[in-house]
Amino acid sequence: MKLEDALAFTEKCFNGEPASCSFACPFHLDIRAFLDKAEKGKWASAYKALESAVAFPLTVSLLCDAPCEHHCQRVQLGDEPIAMTMLEAAVVRYAGSKRARRYVIPPKEGRVAIVGAGAAGLACALGLARKRISVTVFEREPEYGGALRRHPRFAEMSGDIKLQFEAVDAEFCFGREIKSLGELADYNAVYVATGAGGEHFGLLDGWKDDAFTGGADGVFLGGELTGASVVEGIARGGAAAQSIEAFLQVGRVTRLHGGYDREGCERYVAHDGAARAPRVTPSSPDGYTEDEAIREAARCLQCDCDRCMTSCEMLRAFRKRPHKIATEVYTDQNANPPYSSHTLTRETYSCNMCGYCKSVCPEGVDIGALLRLSRAQRMSAGKEPAALHDFWLREMDFNSGEAALCEPPPGAQTCEYVFFPGCQLGASNPEHVRGAYGLLRSAGGGAGIYLGCCGAPAWWAGDDKRFMANFAAIRRNWENMGRPVFVFACATCAGVFDAFAPDIRSVSLYELLDDREVAGHAGELTRAVVFDPCSARARDGMRAAVRGLLRRAGIRTEELADRGRCCGYGGQMRVANPKLFDEIVNSRASMSDEPYIVYCANCREVFASHGKRCAHVLDVALGLKPQERVPSISEKRRNSLSLKEEFMMSDRDARPYRAASAWDAVTLIIDGRLREDMDRNLISEDDVREAIFSAEESGDVFVDAGDGTRMCSMVKPVLTYWARYRCVSRDTYEVLDAYYHRMRFESNSQS
Amino acid sequence: MADSSWRCARCDEALTARKTVFTYLGQSFTHEVLRCPKCGRVLIPPELARGKMAEVEEQLEDK
Repeated sequence: MKLEDALAFTEKCFNGEPASCSFACPFHLDIRAFLDKAEKGKWASAYKALESAVAFPLTVSLLCDAPCEHHCQRVQLGDEPIAMTMLEAAVVRYAGSKRARRYVIPPKEGRVAIVGAGAAGLACALGLARKRISVTVFEREPEYGGALRRHPRFAEMSGDIKLQFEAVDAEFCFGREIKSLGELADYNAVYVATGAGGEHFGLLDGWKDDAFTGGADGVFLGGELTGASVVEGIARGGAAAQSIEAFLQVGRVTRLHGGYDREGCERYVAHDGAARAPRVTPSSPDGYTEDEAIREAARCLQCDCDRCMTSCEMLRAFRKRPHKIATEVYTDQNANPPYSSHTLTRETYSCNMCGYCKSVCPEGVDIGALLRLSRAQRMSAGKEPAALHDFWLREMDFNSGEAALCEPPPGAQTCEYVFFPGCQLGASNPEHVRGAYGLLRSAGGGAGIYLGCCGAPAWWAGDDKRFMANFAAIRRNWENMGRPVFVFACATCAGVFDAFAPDIRSVSLYELLDDREVAGHAGELTRAVVFDPCSARARDGMRAAVRGLLRRAGIRTEELADRGRCCGYGGQMRVANPKLFDEIVNSRASMSDEPYIVYCANCREVFASHGKRCAHVLDVALGLKPQERVPSISEKRRNSLSLKEEFMMSDRDARPYRAASAWDAVTLIIDGRLREDMDRNLISEDDVREAIFSAEESGDVFVDAGDGTRMCSMVKPVLTYWARYRCVSRDTYEVLDAYYHRMRFESNSQS
Repeated sequence: MADSSWRCARCDEALTARKTVFTYLGQSFTHEVLRCPKCGRVLIPPELARGKMAEVEEQLEDK
């Protein structure tokens, strides 16, 4: 992956771009930063920002007609724009010491002549002199100022100008009129700013606005001579100084835009929820008091798009901006600890990949897709923290292997429809799959059953190789079944198929049930909130069908203000960031006090495990009592296998429905508290059973000489599991503790 | 759980604290843990796995 590949994901993101006011400012002053300093009463700091951008702060504050105010986004709320002119004056007034800064840099090569000591010529001269470029200003009048001298407050402006030039070296030749450019042959560049109607040495017709040049090599024009206003002249004089500096360095004329790659701001930010605030009126005709200026500066909305960062808990927690994330996705792939570190790991693996950031972004930037790319890059380079996804990849292998079944209806080789409930629906509640498949079959049309995994866990882990192999197997089975229409109960499965097999036709189970006007049973639920899974955000048909089913059952449904949020399960980030996982789940669970009706087995499990009352829409459609508890990992595996056994056709029952394990005969006694702890840490009873069985068989056991309890370990490819237990009778053990670690130890290393 | 009371059932030896090499995500370091002096098998107590080890694992994952 090249840097450009990562940056392409955030190319359209305009976070960090100058605000609309700065685009409008002739000086491109960073008005957000300026007002942020003013709001904090940091007058000296605000003054420095102003001085750096506008050359002559007081002069500009007296002359500028503030075009920024026409682009202030406060207007969108119905307020008056920020009073920039008055705030600039206040900053100049309260800044205290205004001693101009002296730049300690070595002098640069090249000599520049400025023709005209008016506002534009002075601004250009100051810009060059600040860079330690030798500059000589020629002025036919005996004094500087040009048109400014006619201003009633020129005395103050003159002080402002003197102040700035005190800190730099610049030569002034007053009373010297330049009549021909030949007189300036000793100079490497010339800036002509002779004022309105002034001498242009025949270059004005060829003058180009974008590069300040007039056709002659090294001669630049600006100021009122070129039709600019005085303020524009000062702004462009500063910009011309940058162009001249570049010309001296490379011998070519380039226009430096300083991050402003276009004329105006095309993208205004939505300010939903921002409170209106009237403009602060100064109590004195002299302008704002300090307190008034602070209050006025505080009206600035600090316009910058951060929708994704304020909407998503994960992005908010890590506080990294989209462009920075993109850069770090690139640098992380090349990190080589301990010589160089990954900087994005925890964030990469904490993402729900739910697409919510994309849905709120005005430009549709998908940070989740970028972070998935990071996971895939690291996986293909063998640099992934495998422990963070090991559990789900093992479950996926089980669901696509031992628990998988692809079966046409009895007596048929092919089918018109095949029900693909997804790996979790039956694992979580086999009645859902049993009942839904029963309804599909009772309607005729020949529906087969396909128990398996769509591959989402591999996709989320960034294991593209495993994902593609799984999907190739699905496609083969689909072909063998006569290319049936897939019936999905899980929106994530549907999304995977849409993306990777658009030629496979599909429909959601809920739409089929709704079409068939399944009556359903409300049970104890008369009122509920529908919690749409994030994967159904763009599935209008599925969402409407679920509501149709609930309406028919007589349940009054309410809608959440913010729909399509991830329950917390997405992206399988729970191991990478358990604290954030709980925060997200609790946040979603508290979006409404009403019970939720979900149509994703993972949403149900996540909410039920966090104490949120919820039911699956299939409970309603099938008239089942909603489950309150979440089955353990091993119970889920047993549920999946029992469905497989049940759906295997009797005439083919010679096939074993599951692989027998030597430790099947082992019985474990586990108390409720430990079982909860194991489930929370994703330790399955089967793993503990295997560990104890293998240890007891081999004799690799530790025994506590005090109480006789035993300990054993089992090394799996990614994790090492431990169990502390007590023998109750032959093949029966009471488990006292179970845990794992990710590190490996070398058993043979002796001290 | 008194660590010193653990014995290796296979060798019938009391476990003693010895230096052991640990590796994770390509990095290695040593730490003293209980081992059988005869066969070298290692015992990781739960408080070590859930405490210091988990902490170091997370730090290494973030590097």
